[in-house]
Amino acid sequence: MSESFNMDNLPFSLLSAKEQTLLNNNLDIAYFQKGETIIAAGDVPEGVFIVLKGKVGESDISDTSEEDSSESNVFVHYQDEDYFGGWSVLNGKAIHNFIAVEETICHVLPTRTLMDLIHSNPLFADYFQQNLTAKREIVAQHGQNQDMAEFMLARIQDGTIREPLIVLEGTTIHEATRMMREMKADCVLAKKGNRYGMVTGTDLLDAVIIKGMSLESDVSDIASYRLITTTPQDYLFNALIMMTQQQIERVVVMDGLELVGIVELTDVLSHFSSHSHVIGLRVERAQTIEDLREAAKGLTDLIKALISTGVKIRFTMELLAAMNGRIIAKLFELVIPHDLKPHVCLIVMGSEGRGEQIMKTDQDNGLICRAGLEWPEMAATMNTFSETLISFGFPPCPGNIMVSNPEWVNSTGDWANKLTAWSQKSDGESVMKLAIAVDGKPVAGNAALFKVARNAFLRSLRSNEIFFSHFAKASLNFDTPLTFFGNLKDKGMLDIKKGGIFPIVHGIRTMALEHRILETNTFKRIEALVEMDQMRAKHGENIAEALSLFIQIRLKHQIQRVEESEDGIDPTPNAIDLQRLNKLERDLLRDALRIVKDFKKHLASRYHIGS
Amino acid sequence: MIIPRTIRRFKERREFKDSPYAHLFEPYKGDEVVSLDCETTSLDVKKGEILSIGAVKIRGRRVITSERLDIKLKPPASLTGDSIKVHKIRASDLADGIEIDEALEQVIEFVGNRPILGYYVNYDIKMLDKYFRPRYGFSLPNKAIELSHVYHDIIKWKTVGGDVDLRFDTISKKLDIPIIQRHTALGDAITVGLMYVRLKFGAPLAD
Repeated sequence: MSESFNMDNLPFSLLSAKEQTLLNNNLDIAYFQKGETIIAAGDVPEGVFIVLKGKVGESDISDTSEEDSSESNVFVHYQDEDYFGGWSVLNGKAIHNFIAVEETICHVLPTRTLMDLIHSNPLFADYFQQNLTAKREIVAQHGQNQDMAEFMLARIQDGTIREPLIVLEGTTIHEATRMMREMKADCVLAKKGNRYGMVTGTDLLDAVIIKGMSLESDVSDIASYRLITTTPQDYLFNALIMMTQQQIERVVVMDGLELVGIVELTDVLSHFSSHSHVIGLRVERAQTIEDLREAAKGLTDLIKALISTGVKIRFTMELLAAMNGRIIAKLFELVIPHDLKPHVCLIVMGSEGRGEQIMKTDQDNGLICRAGLEWPEMAATMNTFSETLISFGFPPCPGNIMVSNPEWVNSTGDWANKLTAWSQKSDGESVMKLAIAVDGKPVAGNAALFKVARNAFLRSLRSNEIFFSHFAKASLNFDTPLTFFGNLKDKGMLDIKKGGIFPIVHGIRTMALEHRILETNTFKRIEALVEMDQMRAKHGENIAEALSLFIQIRLKHQIQRVEESEDGIDPTPNAIDLQRLNKLERDLLRDALRIVKDFKKHLASRYHIGS
Repeated sequence: MIIPRTIRRFKERREFKDSPYAHLFEPYKGDEVVSLDCETTSLDVKKGEILSIGAVKIRGRRVITSERLDIKLKPPASLTGDSIKVHKIRASDLADGIEIDEALEQVIEFVGNRPILGYYVNYDIKMLDKYFRPRYGFSLPNKAIELSHVYHDIIKWKTVGGDVDLRFDTISKKLDIPIIQRHTALGDAITVGLMYVRLKFGAPLAD
């Protein structure tokens, strides 16, 4: 057999040995000169081409008729074992021109053989025909990145669900304690009517020792009936996030209205080798800023551990956003005098507000306080707060969006007015400030203050089409580079934030604002938009998948750079070094950027943005 | 055997006019070429024996790898240490090899009267002839195309004085052609095929 063809790449690695032989037996090798047309738009292509050496550009039919040099119209380049023409083959006709950019040698897989393979191998067919989401799914299961940690995807029902100890209303504290000891349980569910309430060992101690209640008191009186619940189908990982966020150690599993059992922190932890909750606990227990600083240090290692085990990027982000949020909130508590807490609200904005930062990115935060609040030391305290965060490794915001800057410390009314004022101005700075601000989320203090301001602002926006059109425009500011493969020789650096992440985040932000979606996380915003029928489920899925791919690739590069640099600082956090991507990553990245391009087109027509 | 090849071919063509092999002597009219390579136990035609034969057709600017010959022969007695180091073919690799008679039939069937292309192709043709003559009574009448000559004819204008480096690896590097699988008969045949297409149809060589 000729082994000139590399079967290790997807989708060919999905083929069985017999199918690979069939493929091998039918391959030809074609040679093309620079500038030669391999497939012309409108032609019936003879098969799929796999580049062995050289480079091929795909260009639009409408473009080639123009006098422009063909080079500038090329929107995708193929090289190094990339394949092209698959779409054309399946549709019977090519809609684009494929032209050799340099001397090129291609393997040619004839249509007939391709069809045979598609019929005999459903997975191969899927990969060939499907969209990005399906491809990523196949990659996750069969691809080279098989290190997706199974345990991270474990569901509640796969873990240990403990049989709850249930006592009826009227059981005494004494009796309940005895039963807990007998059953070796450390909590009990008290049934009152058809409701359940949780009583933990700590609750019992508090009741008897602190509150001095008698041992004969009804245990259902000290139970907490606001149960934090989950479902058997939910991810165990989410239970961990919930526990971290709510600072609790057990959640109740409900299947509809039926009580299934209890999941305990220790059980979840035994499922996860990472030490996220250990850090969480240290954050919670920190009594001084020094304690907190020590706890915060562990985060970077945690990120690396999660990434190296291949945990889905969305979960990692959620967990880390929860952790960062806890650290910031805890620091706020330590710094702010206790009696002022009901009168101020700390908000995080930008990527922090969306819960989409991974490595500690710049702090974007602000303070909203009750109108007329008298607090002479405010400025000094806020300075301390910002300084301390910097010392924790949260870099200062280059745009100075921090509570140490008086511009970002406002009363509720001022805040709403500021947002409205920005929305009425059309300069770039206002748009950016507004974009950062509408991703705001309260993390400490009195969240009601934030909500008042936000709602006032949303009311002012009602059906202001000009604003939305203007606001959306920013997402089209940067070109999405599909031809970057051609620039490999120049520098091979791609700014993934401008090209991919920002257009999605901002476009979704605009749509979310228009439909008054209060979520700040882009993925959740997408879900909400789909639910409201403002976006087709398939599109939403693809956009979410593209975004998480960008973030994942970016993160991988960030970690690499931090490890390689001497001072641990990454000067170009958004740069993707294209030469470091493997074949599969390039393939996926290209698909994802295509999705961004389509999404931008959609935005342009939806918000009537002329180019 | 000192009769020049052309004369001999002419003579044999007449002798085999009515045999089933007459078509092999017809001048070739098509646009195909067969790139062929043999792995042998020795570079000395007299001592060497064939281990494997690889061939692909070249049609226009395509190397038709889907139409190919990939023959393994039964391990000959002369398969010993030295040549194994070069081609890495051991006796056990040839366990399911075929007899030379059958191999020759397949070669004739595949090549027909097409020109045979190779790198030092005369060696391969002589090697085959060594087996052909005793069995068929004639030598392969096909036109031979020597890759290094094609290369030399093009490159010599650029090389002032001195000798042109005609080593396989050098040519492949100069032409920027990937070496498919060095030292397997089929791999070399494909690589040579690609070089040929590149030389015939490609842009002029860069310096």
